[in-house]
Amino acid sequence: MILRWVLALVLAMAAGIGVLWSLTDGFSALTAEAARRQSVARQPRAIPDVRVLDASGRIQSLDANLHDDGRVAIVNFFYTRCVSLCLAQGSLTGQMQQVIEAEGLQDKVRLLSVSFDPRDKADDLARYATRMHAQGDVWQFMSFDDPRQMQAALDLFGITVIPAPLGEFEHNAAFHVVTPDGRLARIFDLDAPGLALQAAQDLAGTAGAGS
Amino acid sequence: MTGRWPVRPWPAWAWAVLAVLCVALAVGLRTLLTARMSLHMLVQIPLLVLVGVFAQQAWHAVRAGRPQRDTHGAGWSINEYGLPGLLLVSLVAAGWMIPKALDDALLGGAVTWFKYLGLPVCGWVLQASVRRANIIIKVFFLGNFCWMSAIVGMVYLDQPVRLCNAYLQDDQEWSGRGLIALAIAWPLAWLLTEIRPIWRFLHR
Repeated sequence: MILRWVLALVLAMAAGIGVLWSLTDGFSALTAEAARRQSVARQPRAIPDVRVLDASGRIQSLDANLHDDGRVAIVNFFYTRCVSLCLAQGSLTGQMQQVIEAEGLQDKVRLLSVSFDPRDKADDLARYATRMHAQGDVWQFMSFDDPRQMQAALDLFGITVIPAPLGEFEHNAAFHVVTPDGRLARIFDLDAPGLALQAAQDLAGTAGAGS
Repeated sequence: MTGRWPVRPWPAWAWAVLAVLCVALAVGLRTLLTARMSLHMLVQIPLLVLVGVFAQQAWHAVRAGRPQRDTHGAGWSINEYGLPGLLLVSLVAAGWMIPKALDDALLGGAVTWFKYLGLPVCGWVLQASVRRANIIIKVFFLGNFCWMSAIVGMVYLDQPVRLCNAYLQDDQEWSGRGLIALAIAWPLAWLLTEIRPIWRFLHR
């Protein structure tokens, strides 16, 4: 009889640990953000085709843009009215731009900042680019043209945008390394722009060797 | 009855009504209750646990009215002292303090089902186990839950970054405060219920 009790105890322990194991993706992630990054690193995701608007007012498909450009893109998401997270993200991206120029990586890697705020039109993007001292050939700005397509793209990237008071948004931020074939290959934390750049360079190297 | 309940024990239907009320609130108001992290963690999830607790109380009241076979002669039950049950429940409780669980519960997949079905089951197991547990085991598991809740609350309160992608930063801080408050209020409330028999003993 006591054996049955010991068995029940072991089963309860196993079931409880199983619950913890599955809730944390096998004890590897405590937050949805960490889980998203690991999942992308294991299995690159194909980005759904979305129409984007650039700072010159041109509407084009993101897929075509990535393909025609041919460089690996380091993508981040922002909105031009943001006064907190995006500013930090923007200044880090500015530093990456300097590194790209200093090391002559312009023909392999570019930077792409995409706005998820429907209020951001071409002139907002252009103004923001000027404010950030962006070099047009290295760092480009876009916003989504269609809200439904935007949601699909944000879902794929794993970006959650929540409207906050005073016309602000709360959103997660990171550097997303996207290959010219339209795949999200890696995600890096904002405090690791060097790693993002390195990964982009590596991917550009392998893509270049492949073609 | 052994005098666990100082007043006359409630009839089964009263417990059943409470359980149904909790289901109605937790499921009926789910959009509202999952809109904020603090409500999700500190209102909806406890309500779902209470569904099981009250349902078990109702079941117990039904059984208490019937003649029972003597289970004590049969030796150890599989949930003797409530240990296996309390172990399971405290591991599941730890799981629901992980930010990823709260985010995943919003996606409508397996974790959502685990929340709506698993938590009432846990509540049932909890109540059935507490009934079998002696005071040392109760103190151990309650203490264990409370330090866990307080520590997680402090982490939520102190984190400069959002832990849940679906929830706002200030809401995360409110959840932290709530978890710390829970870690203080629950043992105090429990102490009050345990103090009554002592009080009565001293004043008889």
